[in-house]
Amino acid sequence: MTPAEAAEGADAGQHPAKALDDTVHQRIRLGILTVAHQARRAEFGFLRTTLDLTAGNLGQHLTVLEKAGLVAVEKGYEGRRPRTWITLTPAGERALREEVAQLKRLIHQIETADGA
Amino acid sequence: MTDASVPLPGTPREVLSGLGELTRRVRAVQRDSWIPLLLFGLVTLGGVLVGRLTFHQETVPCPGGPAAPGDTCTLMRQGSAAYWTAGLLAAYAATAWWYLHRSRRRGVGTPVRPYVLAGAAAVAALAVTTWWGASQPAPGADLDLWGLHLAADARATLLVQQFLGGAAAIGVPLLVLARIDRSRALALFALGYLLIELTPVTFGWWGAAAGPWSALSRHGVPALYLLTGALLFALANRRARPRAAA
Repeated sequence: MTPAEAAEGADAGQHPAKALDDTVHQRIRLGILTVAHQARRAEFGFLRTTLDLTAGNLGQHLTVLEKAGLVAVEKGYEGRRPRTWITLTPAGERALREEVAQLKRLIHQIETADGA
Repeated sequence: MTDASVPLPGTPREVLSGLGELTRRVRAVQRDSWIPLLLFGLVTLGGVLVGRLTFHQETVPCPGGPAAPGDTCTLMRQGSAAYWTAGLLAAYAATAWWYLHRSRRRGVGTPVRPYVLAGAAAVAALAVTTWWGASQPAPGADLDLWGLHLAADARATLLVQQFLGGAAAIGVPLLVLARIDRSRALALFALGYLLIELTPVTFGWWGAAAGPWSALSRHGVPALYLLTGALLFALANRRARPRAAA
Protein backbone atom coordinates (compact mmCIF):
# COMPACT_ATOMS: atom_id res chain seq x y z
CA MET A 1 0.00 0.00 0.00
CA THR A 2 1.36 3.45 -0.89
CA PRO A 3 1.38 6.30 1.66
CA ALA A 4 -1.45 8.01 -0.26
CA GLU A 5 -3.57 4.85 -0.24
CA ALA A 6 -2.86 4.37 3.46
CA ALA A 7 -4.03 7.88 4.27
CA GLU A 8 -7.10 7.36 2.11
CA GLY A 9 -7.86 4.10 3.93
CA ALA A 10 -7.57 5.80 7.29
CA ASP A 11 -9.99 8.49 6.18
CA ALA A 12 -12.44 5.87 4.91
CA GLY A 13 -12.66 4.46 8.44
CA GLN A 14 -11.22 1.01 7.69
CA HIS A 15 -9.27 -0.99 10.30
CA PRO A 16 -6.02 0.87 11.13
CA ALA A 17 -3.94 -2.26 10.44
CA LYS A 18 -5.07 -2.16 6.79
CA ALA A 19 -4.10 1.48 6.52
CA LEU A 20 -0.46 0.81 7.46
CA ASP A 21 1.95 1.45 4.60
CA ASP A 22 4.07 -1.67 3.94
CA THR A 23 7.05 0.36 2.74
CA VAL A 24 7.10 2.38 5.95
CA HIS A 25 5.90 -0.23 8.43
CA GLN A 26 8.83 -2.60 7.86
CA ARG A 27 10.71 -2.14 11.13
CA ILE A 28 14.17 -1.30 9.81
CA ARG A 29 12.74 1.24 7.37
CA LEU A 30 10.61 2.67 10.15
CA GLY A 31 13.80 2.94 12.23
CA ILE A 32 15.61 4.70 9.38
CA LEU A 33 12.78 7.19 8.96
CA THR A 34 12.65 7.85 12.72
CA VAL A 35 16.40 8.45 13.02
CA ALA A 36 16.45 10.63 9.89
CA HIS A 37 13.50 12.63 11.21
CA GLN A 38 15.15 13.33 14.57
CA ALA A 39 18.63 13.88 13.13
CA ARG A 40 17.30 16.07 10.26
CA ARG A 41 20.33 14.84 8.31
CA ALA A 42 21.93 11.51 9.14
CA GLU A 43 25.18 10.09 7.83
CA PHE A 44 25.18 6.50 6.52
CA GLY A 45 27.64 5.35 9.20
CA PHE A 46 25.59 6.93 11.98
CA LEU A 47 22.45 5.17 10.77
CA ARG A 48 24.33 1.88 10.50
CA THR A 49 25.68 2.16 14.07
CA THR A 50 22.45 3.41 15.62
CA LEU A 51 20.33 0.71 13.99
CA ASP A 52 23.07 -1.91 14.34
CA LEU A 53 22.94 -3.02 10.71
CA THR A 54 25.41 -4.14 8.09
CA ALA A 55 26.21 -1.70 5.29
CA GLY A 56 24.58 -4.02 2.73
CA ASN A 57 21.36 -4.39 4.69
CA LEU A 58 21.08 -0.67 5.33
CA GLY A 59 21.85 0.07 1.66
CA GLN A 60 19.02 -2.19 0.48
CA HIS A 61 16.47 -0.54 2.74
CA LEU A 62 17.66 2.92 1.73
CA THR A 63 17.19 2.01 -1.92
CA VAL A 64 13.57 1.00 -1.22
CA LEU A 65 12.91 4.24 0.67
CA GLU A 66 14.63 6.34 -2.00
CA LYS A 67 12.61 4.71 -4.79
CA ALA A 68 9.42 5.41 -2.82
CA GLY A 69 10.48 9.05 -2.62
CA LEU A 70 10.61 8.99 1.20
CA VAL A 71 14.30 9.83 1.64
CA ALA A 72 16.88 11.77 -0.32
CA VAL A 73 20.40 10.37 -0.51
CA GLU A 74 23.24 12.80 -1.01
CA LYS A 75 26.76 11.54 -1.70
CA GLY A 76 29.85 13.66 -1.26
CA TYR A 77 33.27 13.93 0.28
CA GLU A 78 34.53 15.31 3.52
CA GLY A 79 38.21 15.81 2.91
CA ARG A 80 39.12 12.54 1.23
CA ARG A 81 36.48 10.47 2.99
CA PRO A 82 33.38 9.61 1.00
CA ARG A 83 30.22 10.41 2.96
CA THR A 84 26.57 9.62 2.30
CA TRP A 85 23.92 11.79 3.95
CA ILE A 86 20.27 10.84 4.24
CA THR A 87 17.43 13.31 4.71
CA LEU A 88 13.68 12.79 4.87
CA THR A 89 11.68 14.20 1.99
CA PRO A 90 8.37 15.97 2.75
CA ALA A 91 6.63 12.74 1.62
CA GLY A 92 8.81 10.81 4.10
CA GLU A 93 7.85 13.18 6.91
CA ARG A 94 4.17 12.74 6.05
CA ALA A 95 4.50 8.95 5.79
CA LEU A 96 6.21 8.72 9.19
CA ARG A 97 3.59 10.95 10.81
CA GLU A 98 0.82 8.84 9.28
CA GLU A 99 2.45 5.57 10.40
CA VAL A 100 2.72 6.80 14.00
CA ALA A 101 -0.90 8.00 13.88
CA GLN A 102 -2.05 4.59 12.59
CA LEU A 103 -0.11 2.79 15.33
CA LYS A 104 -1.76 4.99 17.94
CA ARG A 105 -5.17 4.27 16.41
CA LEU A 106 -4.39 0.54 16.54
CA ILE A 107 -3.44 0.76 20.22
CA HIS A 108 -6.61 2.70 20.93
CA GLN A 109 -8.69 0.12 19.06
CA ILE A 110 -7.06 -2.79 20.93
CA GLU A 111 -7.58 -1.06 24.27
CA THR A 112 -11.21 -0.27 23.42
CA ALA A 113 -11.81 -3.90 22.39
CA ASP A 114 -10.16 -5.17 25.61
CA GLY A 115 -12.31 -2.86 27.71
CA ALA A 116 -15.57 -3.93 26.04
CA MET B 1 23.34 -8.77 11.49
CA THR B 2 19.66 -9.37 11.17
CA ASP B 3 16.53 -7.33 11.36
CA ALA B 4 16.22 -8.43 15.01
CA SER B 5 18.91 -5.90 16.01
CA VAL B 6 16.51 -2.99 15.46
CA PRO B 7 14.68 -2.31 18.72
CA LEU B 8 11.21 -2.39 17.16
CA PRO B 9 9.50 -5.61 18.19
CA GLY B 10 5.97 -6.79 17.45
CA THR B 11 2.94 -5.10 19.02
CA PRO B 12 1.99 -1.52 18.07
CA ARG B 13 2.81 -0.41 21.60
CA GLU B 14 6.25 -2.04 21.42
CA VAL B 15 6.88 -0.49 18.00
CA LEU B 16 6.00 2.98 19.29
CA SER B 17 8.14 2.43 22.37
CA GLY B 18 11.02 1.33 20.11
CA LEU B 19 10.65 4.51 18.06
CA GLY B 20 10.77 6.54 21.28
CA GLU B 21 13.97 4.78 22.32
CA LEU B 22 15.56 5.46 18.90
CA THR B 23 14.59 9.13 19.19
CA ARG B 24 16.18 9.32 22.67
CA ARG B 25 19.39 7.77 21.34
CA VAL B 26 19.67 10.31 18.52
CA ARG B 27 18.91 13.22 20.86
CA ALA B 28 21.60 12.06 23.27
CA VAL B 29 24.13 12.20 20.43
CA GLN B 30 22.87 15.58 19.17
CA ARG B 31 22.94 17.47 22.45
CA ASP B 32 25.96 19.26 23.80
CA SER B 33 24.27 22.01 25.80
CA TRP B 34 27.08 22.08 28.35
CA ILE B 35 29.45 23.73 25.83
CA PRO B 36 27.54 27.06 25.49
CA LEU B 37 26.76 27.03 29.22
CA LEU B 38 30.43 26.61 30.08
CA LEU B 39 31.50 29.37 27.65
CA PHE B 40 28.81 31.81 28.85
CA GLY B 41 29.68 30.98 32.45
CA LEU B 42 33.36 31.74 31.85
CA VAL B 43 32.59 34.99 30.01
CA THR B 44 30.25 36.07 32.84
CA LEU B 45 32.84 35.15 35.47
CA GLY B 46 35.43 37.12 33.51
CA GLY B 47 33.04 40.08 33.75
CA VAL B 48 33.70 40.18 37.52
CA LEU B 49 37.43 40.57 36.93
CA VAL B 50 36.90 43.10 34.14
CA GLY B 51 34.58 45.05 36.47
CA ARG B 52 37.31 45.10 39.12
CA LEU B 53 40.02 46.17 36.66
CA THR B 54 37.94 48.89 35.01
CA PHE B 55 36.58 50.36 38.24
CA HIS B 56 37.21 54.08 38.50
CA GLN B 57 35.76 57.16 40.16
CA GLU B 58 34.98 60.53 38.61
CA THR B 59 33.96 63.82 40.12
CA VAL B 60 30.92 65.19 38.29
CA PRO B 61 28.29 67.91 38.86
CA CYS B 62 25.47 66.60 41.05
CA PRO B 63 22.24 65.74 39.17
CA GLY B 64 18.80 67.20 39.78
CA GLY B 65 18.13 70.87 40.42
CA PRO B 66 20.49 73.78 40.59
CA ALA B 67 23.48 72.87 42.72
CA ALA B 68 25.42 75.25 44.88
CA PRO B 69 28.70 76.44 43.35
CA GLY B 70 31.39 73.86 43.90
CA ASP B 71 28.84 71.17 44.77
CA THR B 72 30.08 67.94 43.18
CA CYS B 73 29.31 64.24 43.37
CA THR B 74 31.45 61.13 42.94
CA LEU B 75 30.50 58.84 40.07
CA MET B 76 31.75 55.25 40.13
CA ARG B 77 32.00 53.40 36.84
CA GLN B 78 33.06 49.89 35.94
CA GLY B 79 32.67 47.37 33.13
CA SER B 80 33.73 47.29 29.51
CA ALA B 81 31.37 47.28 26.54
CA ALA B 82 34.19 45.92 24.38
CA TYR B 83 34.71 42.95 26.73
CA TRP B 84 31.07 41.86 26.69
CA THR B 85 30.69 42.33 22.93
CA ALA B 86 33.89 40.46 22.08
CA GLY B 87 33.46 37.84 24.82
CA LEU B 88 29.91 36.89 23.87
CA LEU B 89 30.71 36.93 20.14
CA ALA B 90 33.63 34.58 20.78
CA ALA B 91 31.36 32.30 22.86
CA TYR B 92 28.77 32.17 20.05
CA ALA B 93 31.40 31.55 17.38
CA ALA B 94 33.00 28.78 19.45
CA THR B 95 29.62 27.13 20.11
CA ALA B 96 28.66 27.25 16.43
CA TRP B 97 32.04 25.81 15.44
CA TRP B 98 31.72 23.05 18.03
CA TYR B 99 28.21 22.08 16.92
CA LEU B 100 29.18 22.00 13.24
CA HIS B 101 32.41 20.09 13.92
CA ARG B 102 30.57 17.59 16.11
CA SER B 103 27.79 17.25 13.55
CA ARG B 104 30.31 16.23 10.89
CA ARG B 105 32.25 13.94 13.23
CA ARG B 106 29.20 12.08 14.58
CA GLY B 107 27.26 12.06 11.32
CA VAL B 108 24.12 13.62 12.72
CA GLY B 109 22.67 16.98 11.73
CA THR B 110 22.00 19.92 14.05
CA PRO B 111 20.50 23.11 12.59
CA VAL B 112 22.66 25.60 14.44
CA ARG B 113 21.85 28.58 12.21
CA PRO B 114 18.83 29.86 14.23
CA TYR B 115 20.97 29.83 17.37
CA VAL B 116 23.78 31.77 15.68
CA LEU B 117 21.31 34.30 14.25
CA ALA B 118 19.61 34.75 17.64
CA GLY B 119 23.02 35.13 19.28
CA ALA B 120 24.23 37.68 16.72
CA ALA B 121 21.03 39.74 17.12
CA ALA B 122 21.26 39.56 20.91
CA VAL B 123 24.93 40.57 20.99
CA ALA B 124 24.22 43.44 18.57
CA ALA B 125 21.43 44.68 20.90
CA LEU B 126 23.73 44.28 23.91
CA ALA B 127 26.57 46.12 22.17
CA VAL B 128 24.39 49.04 21.13
CA THR B 129 22.86 49.32 24.62
CA THR B 130 26.17 48.99 26.45
CA TRP B 131 28.01 51.48 24.24
CA TRP B 132 25.05 53.82 24.49
CA GLY B 133 24.90 53.38 28.29
CA ALA B 134 28.59 54.21 28.58
CA SER B 135 28.04 57.43 26.65
CA GLN B 136 25.39 58.75 29.10
CA PRO B 137 27.44 61.26 31.05
CA ALA B 138 25.06 62.72 33.60
CA PRO B 139 24.39 60.38 36.53
CA GLY B 140 20.80 60.40 37.72
CA ALA B 141 19.58 62.29 34.66
CA ASP B 142 16.83 60.89 32.47
CA LEU B 143 18.09 58.53 29.79
CA ASP B 144 17.47 59.20 26.14
CA LEU B 145 17.03 55.86 24.35
CA TRP B 146 16.57 56.88 20.71
CA GLY B 147 14.03 59.54 21.60
CA LEU B 148 12.42 57.48 24.39
CA HIS B 149 12.94 59.31 27.70
CA LEU B 150 13.40 56.94 30.61
CA ALA B 151 13.69 58.01 34.23
CA ALA B 152 17.13 56.85 35.41
CA ASP B 153 15.92 55.45 38.73
CA ALA B 154 12.67 53.90 37.47
CA ARG B 155 12.33 50.12 37.78
CA ALA B 156 11.11 49.93 34.18
CA THR B 157 14.39 51.51 33.05
CA LEU B 158 16.40 48.99 35.06
CA LEU B 159 14.30 46.17 33.62
CA VAL B 160 14.92 47.38 30.05
CA GLN B 161 18.65 47.75 30.74
CA GLN B 162 18.87 44.30 32.28
CA PHE B 163 16.82 42.64 29.59
CA LEU B 164 19.03 44.19 26.92
CA GLY B 165 22.02 42.98 28.96
CA GLY B 166 22.73 39.39 29.93
CA ALA B 167 19.10 38.32 29.86
CA ALA B 168 18.70 38.92 26.14
CA ALA B 169 22.29 38.19 25.13
CA ILE B 170 22.46 34.80 26.85
CA GLY B 171 18.98 33.81 28.03
CA VAL B 172 17.05 34.23 24.78
CA PRO B 173 19.57 32.38 22.55
CA LEU B 174 19.63 29.60 25.17
CA LEU B 175 15.88 29.28 24.67
CA VAL B 176 16.48 29.04 20.91
CA LEU B 177 19.09 26.35 21.54
CA ALA B 178 16.62 24.48 23.75
CA ARG B 179 14.16 24.53 20.83
CA ILE B 180 16.83 23.26 18.42
CA ASP B 181 17.94 20.53 20.86
CA ARG B 182 14.28 19.77 21.66
CA SER B 183 15.38 19.86 25.29
CA ARG B 184 12.81 20.70 27.96
CA ALA B 185 15.55 20.66 30.61
CA LEU B 186 17.55 23.34 28.78
CA ALA B 187 14.39 25.43 28.24
CA LEU B 188 13.67 25.33 31.99
CA PHE B 189 17.31 26.15 32.72
CA ALA B 190 17.18 29.15 30.34
CA LEU B 191 13.97 30.38 32.04
CA GLY B 192 15.75 30.05 35.39
CA TYR B 193 18.61 32.13 34.02
CA LEU B 194 16.20 34.82 32.80
CA LEU B 195 14.62 34.85 36.26
CA ILE B 196 18.03 35.33 37.91
CA GLU B 197 18.90 38.13 35.50
CA LEU B 198 15.60 39.96 35.84
CA THR B 199 14.63 39.32 39.48
CA PRO B 200 17.28 41.61 41.01
CA VAL B 201 15.14 44.56 39.90
CA THR B 202 12.59 43.47 42.48
CA PHE B 203 15.02 42.68 45.26
CA GLY B 204 17.34 45.55 44.59
CA TRP B 205 20.68 43.76 44.93
CA TRP B 206 21.61 44.77 41.45
CA GLY B 207 22.44 48.38 40.78
CA ALA B 208 25.09 50.86 39.84
CA ALA B 209 28.73 50.33 40.72
CA ALA B 210 29.21 50.85 44.45
CA GLY B 211 32.75 49.54 44.89
CA PRO B 212 35.61 47.77 43.10
CA TRP B 213 34.03 44.34 43.61
CA SER B 214 30.38 45.24 43.09
CA ALA B 215 30.47 43.31 39.78
CA LEU B 216 30.78 40.19 41.92
CA SER B 217 27.21 40.53 43.17
CA ARG B 218 26.03 41.46 39.66
CA HIS B 219 27.72 38.64 37.72
CA GLY B 220 28.70 36.12 40.41
CA VAL B 221 25.28 34.47 40.75
CA PRO B 222 24.57 34.15 36.98
CA ALA B 223 28.12 32.85 36.39
CA LEU B 224 27.77 30.25 39.15
CA TYR B 225 24.36 29.25 37.79
CA LEU B 226 25.73 28.82 34.24
CA LEU B 227 28.84 26.90 35.35
CA THR B 228 26.80 24.60 37.61
CA GLY B 229 24.41 24.05 34.69
CA ALA B 230 27.35 23.21 32.40
CA LEU B 231 28.55 20.60 34.89
CA LEU B 232 25.10 19.05 35.36
CA PHE B 233 24.33 18.96 31.62
CA ALA B 234 27.76 17.45 30.91
CA LEU B 235 27.15 14.73 33.50
CA ALA B 236 23.66 14.06 32.12
CA ASN B 237 25.06 13.86 28.58
CA ARG B 238 27.78 11.48 29.69
CA ARG B 239 25.24 9.27 31.41
CA ALA B 240 22.92 9.26 28.38
CA ARG B 241 25.63 8.50 25.77
CA PRO B 242 26.73 4.99 26.80
CA ARG B 243 23.06 4.05 27.04
CA ALA B 244 22.56 5.52 23.59
CA ALA B 245 25.49 3.55 22.21
CA ALA B 246 24.38 0.33 23.93
